[in-house]
Amino acid sequence: MSEFDAIVVGGGPAGASAAIKLAQNNMNVLLVERGDPPGSKNVSGGVLWGTGLGELSDDWEKTAPLERYLESKSVAFLTEKSKINIDFSTKNFEEQKTGYTVLRAKLDPWLVKKAREAGAMVVTGVTVDRLSKKDGKVVGVIQDGDEITADAVILAEGANPRVAIDSGLREPLKDHDVAIGVKEVIKLPEKTINERFNLRGKAGYACEYVLGFLKDGVEAGGFLYTNKDSISIGAVISMKHLRQSNQVYSFDIMEEFASHPFIAPLLEEGRVDEYSAHLVQEGGLSSIPKLYGDGYMIAGDAAGFSFSNGLVLQGMNYAISSGISAAEALVEAKQKSDFSSASLSRYQQKLEESYVMKDMRTFKGIENVTWSKMIHKTFPSMLENVMMGLFKEEGKPKKHMMQLVLDSMSSSKIKSKDMLLQGYRMLRRM
Amino acid sequence: MKIEERLSLLNYKTDKSYEHITVNPNICEECPDHFCTFACPAKCYTIIEGKLNFKYEDCVECGTCAVACSHGSVSWTNTKGGHGVKYKYG
Repeated sequence: MSEFDAIVVGGGPAGASAAIKLAQNNMNVLLVERGDPPGSKNVSGGVLWGTGLGELSDDWEKTAPLERYLESKSVAFLTEKSKINIDFSTKNFEEQKTGYTVLRAKLDPWLVKKAREAGAMVVTGVTVDRLSKKDGKVVGVIQDGDEITADAVILAEGANPRVAIDSGLREPLKDHDVAIGVKEVIKLPEKTINERFNLRGKAGYACEYVLGFLKDGVEAGGFLYTNKDSISIGAVISMKHLRQSNQVYSFDIMEEFASHPFIAPLLEEGRVDEYSAHLVQEGGLSSIPKLYGDGYMIAGDAAGFSFSNGLVLQGMNYAISSGISAAEALVEAKQKSDFSSASLSRYQQKLEESYVMKDMRTFKGIENVTWSKMIHKTFPSMLENVMMGLFKEEGKPKKHMMQLVLDSMSSSKIKSKDMLLQGYRMLRRM
Repeated sequence: MKIEERLSLLNYKTDKSYEHITVNPNICEECPDHFCTFACPAKCYTIIEGKLNFKYEDCVECGTCAVACSHGSVSWTNTKGGHGVKYKYG
C-alpha cells in the first residue's frame, strides 16, 4: 500500500497543474517543490499563451497574478545600427484572451496555492534526490535518504530535469536540446511603460528579436515583455554556436542587447531589479524522451515541451496542458488500479490527441531553421540593405525593389536559387 | 550593467555545508577550451593564474554548465533544503 496515490516532483506550471487536477479528482497527492517559496527557483520569459489557467480554476481572471494581457506583438531584426520591425496590435487579443505577461515568482505560488486548496499536500524547500524503484518500477521518491511511496510519480522538474536524467529516464541534455536564457527585470513606473509602448490600462506589449548584431557566429534571440510596472528583457543563446565561438560570454550578450541603440531608450531611467538565467528547452520533437513507464510520467519542460519559431516562444501553455493530461491519465489508472507502463500510455495518447504533441510533430525540425546563419546574419543584413536602398536619396537614379533585393543578395554572396530554397524551407517549417 | 553588479542584486540562502556542483580539477587542468567560463551566465567559472576556479555561491542553478562541459568534469545536483538562489520575479 502506497502512502500517496501520486507524487508530483516540481511546483511549476506542469507540476502544479497536475497536482490541482489530481486533487480535484479526490486523489491523495503530494506535491514536492525544491524552492521555498514556490517559484523562487523558476524563470520564464514570460508570456503565458492561451487560457490554460481556466482549466484549473474558475476565478483565474480575477485572482491569477497576470501582469498585463497582450495587445501588441512584434517581431524585430536588430543589426548593429538598425531595427526592422513587424508590429501587430489588435483588440482581438484581449477579447480572445490570447496571452498574458507573467512573473514566475508570483504565478507559481498562486498555482501551488490552488493545488493546496484543492486538497493536495504541498511541501516546499524539499529536494527529491532520486526515484525509488522496485522490480524496475517507479514506486516513489527518495528524499534525504527517506523513501516516500506512491502509485505513480509525475516528474515536472523543469528545463534541467536532474531526477529524470539521473534515473536514466531522459538522456543527458546536449547542445541541440537547449539554449541559455538570460534575463533582467527592469523597474519602471506603470505610467512610463504605458507612454513608451503606447499602452492603456492593463494592455501589454511583447516583442521577439533576432539579435543579428552579434559577432563571432554567435546566434541568439531576444525578448522584451511589459509587466505592470517592470519590463522583462532577455536573450536566448544557442549553446552550439556559443561553443563554436568559444570567446563570447553569455552574460555579455544580455548587456549588448540592453544597450543596443533601439533598445536602450526603451529601458531609460529604469532600474535593473533582478538578473536571472536558466536553460531553455529548444530541441523540439527530437529532444522529447519516452514520456511514461511503469509508475511514472514526465511533463512540461522536463519532457522538452517548448516551442519557438522565432516569432513566438511558448512553454508554459504546454506545461499546463501536459500536467493536466498526466493527471487525467493517472485518474484513469487509479480506477483500474493499474499503474503499469501500458496503463499510463494513456498519457501519451492524450498528448497525441491534444495540441501538445500535434505541435511538436507539425514543427519537427523547426529548431534547425530558427538557429541558422540565414535567419541570424544573412537575412537581417539583407533587409537592412534593401531598406537603405529604398530610403536613401543620393542623387542617383532609383532602383526597383527587386533589383535592391538582388543586389543585396549578391553582396551577401547568396545565389537566388539558394535563397528560394531556404525561403521555401523556412515557410514550410514555420 | 556589469555581471558582478547584476549578481549583487540577487538573494541567496547559501548552503555552507553542501556544494551542489563540483568540478574535477584534474579534468579541468587538461581542458582545451574552458567553455564553462563563457557559458555560465553567473560567471561562476573563471581562470585565475591559469587555473580554473569555480565558486558555487553565485550559482543561479540554471543548469548550463552541466551541458557546457563536454569533458565530464561538472557534477550537477540540485540544492537542498530550499538553499541557493531565491528569485523575487523569476
